[in-house]
Amino acid sequence: MSRQQSINSSQTAASATAQSPLSRSFKATGEDVWKRTEKINAELFTLTYGAIVSQLCTDYGRDFTKINEQLFQMGYSIGVRLIEDFLARTALPRCQDMQETSEALSKCAFKVFLNITPRVTNWSSTKDTFSLIIDENPLSDFVELPMDAMEQLWYSNVLCGVLKGALEMVQLDCDVFFVSDILRGDQQTELRVKLNKVLKDEIPIGED
Amino acid sequence: MAIESILIINKSGGLIYQRNFSESFASKLNSNDFLIIASTIHSVFAITSQITPKALQITQNNVDYVIPYIPMVGMENSNPQQNRNSNVPVKLGSYKGPDFFKEPFISWNKSGLRQLSTDQFTMYIYQTMTGLKFVALSSNVLSNNAGTTMTGSIDRTKAVNIASQVADNFLRKIYCLYGDYVMKDPFYSMEMPIKSELFDKAVKRMVNNLL
Repeated sequence: MSRQQSINSSQTAASATAQSPLSRSFKATGEDVWKRTEKINAELFTLTYGAIVSQLCTDYGRDFTKINEQLFQMGYSIGVRLIEDFLARTALPRCQDMQETSEALSKCAFKVFLNITPRVTNWSSTKDTFSLIIDENPLSDFVELPMDAMEQLWYSNVLCGVLKGALEMVQLDCDVFFVSDILRGDQQTELRVKLNKVLKDEIPIGED
Repeated sequence: MAIESILIINKSGGLIYQRNFSESFASKLNSNDFLIIASTIHSVFAITSQITPKALQITQNNVDYVIPYIPMVGMENSNPQQNRNSNVPVKLGSYKGPDFFKEPFISWNKSGLRQLSTDQFTMYIYQTMTGLKFVALSSNVLSNNAGTTMTGSIDRTKAVNIASQVADNFLRKIYCLYGDYVMKDPFYSMEMPIKSELFDKAVKRMVNNLL
């Protein structure tokens, strides 16, 4: 009972700190951290990613389901590491709900690493699933999908893996997947993030 | 704040990094001792977070977890005599500017062990959101004798607070180095001991700047 009380009271304390004037908006944090991060030419990044995808196409004999899987796996391994870099840079406090998480992703994470700010839309009624609309995807500059890849390949699938891995390391078990991509002739590039559950048991002790 | 030793403990309580920076008591321990110390720290940390004063349990506590930014802790130009002739700014990995960050931040460690003071040394713990623990053993001792008068004890509380804020600033910078030199090393496997010379050098340099 007393343990329960302590959890309740500390939760109110945590939300009080989140609203203190010191915790700035995600937008300000994102822009500030972006300014203090070393940069490289975006084309180098785009072309390197292009080389990886095209190599995978050769290696897997144009089996695009496998290529999607492989890109996701690569992204996952990046994500579980990148989260440390992100947290060291921003020192953001833990998000209280998915709405905060969505803002942290679009305004801080995407801003810091890719210098884009995806739009957050299509909230589910339970507020645990949302979409990120990526208007300018730096990964897919200069890309036109070949005819046989149009139906199956999610070219930027590495992003799904990165988000999945990174969110899992902060105890958010999510499903991340593409629902549409401009490269496939869709209206927009839409990435869906769905929260399965918060891994409460794995939240580091001492944070409550 | 001279640092004697630095430990990094992964989220399952295993020691993944340990270095000594002086000929102190710490160098008399072998690597097995440090493994035991690390998992003991991990357990004590968990226990301390479970025992909370009744007052904090029943009242709505508004404890301030904000750590102020203390400029240039452990940075190259913090000690002007040391490198007066080298005007070349030191590169901070993937970080731009003279320091890793310049804003106050909110501590992730809200109810766990943060500081352990003894007659010989002081230990500071910084925990990240992913459950990683950074531990620094400092040879600085916060004297108990000052606390005899009323004002003396206030001064002491203040000194303890400042020391722990400096330590949090310093350890967050070690975390920044970890994010750069350990996480971006393709041959590092997660949760395993760190064997990176670049990381070693960067940590050592930062500790030396702190003297």
